[in-house]
Amino acid sequence: MATEERTEELVGELYQAVITMDDEGARRLSQAALDEGIDPYYALTQGLAKAMEKVGQLYADHLYFVPELLLCSDALYAGLDVLKPHIRTGQSDKAKQIIIGTVEGDIHDIGKNLVKIMFEAAGWVVHDLGKDVMLQRFVDEQLEIRADVIALSALMTTSMLAMPTAIEMIRARDPRVAIMVGGAPLTRDIALKYGAHGYARNAGEAVREAQEMLKRLNGSHI
Amino acid sequence: MKERAHADRMKTEGMPSAERLSALLKGEPVDRVPFLSFILGFCARNVGYSVASIYSDPEKSLQAQIWTKEQYGYDSDPFFGYASYGGYEFGGEIGLPDGQYQQAPSHKRFAAEDERAVEDLKTPDARTAGMLPLAMRFSQAQVEHAIAPSVVLGGPWTVAGNICPVHTLCRWSIRKPELAHRLLRLATDHLVEVVALWVDSFGAGRVRLQVWEPLTSNQIVSPKQFEQMILPYEIEFHEKILAKGIGHILCHICGDQTSNLPRWAEVPMGAHGIVSIGKEVDIIAAADCFGERCIIAGNIEPSLLQTGTPAEIYELCREAIIKGRRARGGFALMQGCEVPVNSPPYNLYVMNRAIHDFGQY
Repeated sequence: MATEERTEELVGELYQAVITMDDEGARRLSQAALDEGIDPYYALTQGLAKAMEKVGQLYADHLYFVPELLLCSDALYAGLDVLKPHIRTGQSDKAKQIIIGTVEGDIHDIGKNLVKIMFEAAGWVVHDLGKDVMLQRFVDEQLEIRADVIALSALMTTSMLAMPTAIEMIRARDPRVAIMVGGAPLTRDIALKYGAHGYARNAGEAVREAQEMLKRLNGSHI
Repeated sequence: MKERAHADRMKTEGMPSAERLSALLKGEPVDRVPFLSFILGFCARNVGYSVASIYSDPEKSLQAQIWTKEQYGYDSDPFFGYASYGGYEFGGEIGLPDGQYQQAPSHKRFAAEDERAVEDLKTPDARTAGMLPLAMRFSQAQVEHAIAPSVVLGGPWTVAGNICPVHTLCRWSIRKPELAHRLLRLATDHLVEVVALWVDSFGAGRVRLQVWEPLTSNQIVSPKQFEQMILPYEIEFHEKILAKGIGHILCHICGDQTSNLPRWAEVPMGAHGIVSIGKEVDIIAAADCFGERCIIAGNIEPSLLQTGTPAEIYELCREAIIKGRRARGGFALMQGCEVPVNSPPYNLYVMNRAIHDFGQY
């Protein structure tokens, strides 16, 4: 069993491995954490996830860009692959759920994938529907999963027109779910106009926006 | 924005478009701010054709664009091009736009998804690759209509990111830079060959060239990576094609490229070239960076054309024109990227009206 000091040292190194895009290091340190009896959930939340939160901030501050973010996420997943099988059921039972997808007509998914990474790193259960997702599928999945949030992505100006239709369709069947949108042609004004509850300018801001959106909505009638 | 009498709205005195554009490119005085339109699928829908026909049928594409230009009064000529250029040309597959939410060809299969495929790649034959035979037919039709033949290509980085998935290219750019450089080399060599084919077919000094480079946006790559990895290929590409007899390059630097501007200013664009900027780049910042060497074109937000009111667009155009008139190299009002096919037509007309109201010299 690792001492508190050793635990913090290892978790700190895990954090650094993600920030420095060191996937081999993240895998090795995660195994070391297990071998030394460190709670894998603690290593995940305080090492990997916290690092990804920092990476999101670096991205939002234009200090990291897509290549760096992708390589940090590779390090995150390398560590997660080792730690996740050892996390006891119940430790993350209260995790929030999100359904995410790029809307019908749009095959661009890099932005959506970055957002997905940020939610997974933050401990959310992510149901990724992929790209060019038929609008009815968002409705059907929501009726089955009852996620807390649905996130719609679009890169193309034309395909973003699918968003208000999707929002209307989803809300007709589940008025309680929070819906957020994002993508290059979107703005907060357009998001509001489309009836979305939330809007994130980039992947780095998406999780915080979702949390704030849920807070806002839980304080209202939704 | 006040209502106008019909006759007043339709007044068209001044230089003819061709004369205005020619003067702009030579750095000579023009009567008013030129109006360039980044417009493809909208034209097809405008005349009752399928959006896909803009890419699949050169004759219909040209006709739709000629008619739409006549209707809306912009100065730029029809062109044939698509942003995912390179994927199909290097052996991948694309799908033509289909359904109510698409307006451009999109990738169905990439030409190279792993290291081995990149190593095996060769530059394709510019006469037969992908959409190039259709692009050549379009240029021939342009000439038949007394329009300068044009060719539209991606920049080296965007072509590299169309040959393989963008996320793969991004990873390789740091983990396996030799693969990213190989793709940039193949892309650059291919692009030079395509331009050479057009110049050989139509003559030096006659071909109008557009280069679209969205993937160098700082929403994707850092200014440092742009400078160190990509910029040398951009400079090489532009130098080589200018040497082949291209007089002016219209370079569309899509997205937020503000931090790249000083580096883009090192890329030769011809005398004069046009730098077309997106909504994310400030017109004055771009004008200051390029000085007298380039015309700045931009930067009306396409999503506002689609969702905004005429008054909002009119105001945005007014602001852009006021800023643009300070550009020492010249300014043209243009959309920051392609006009969405579903834009209310009146919103496009409003751009012309703003030019007539605020763009007179």
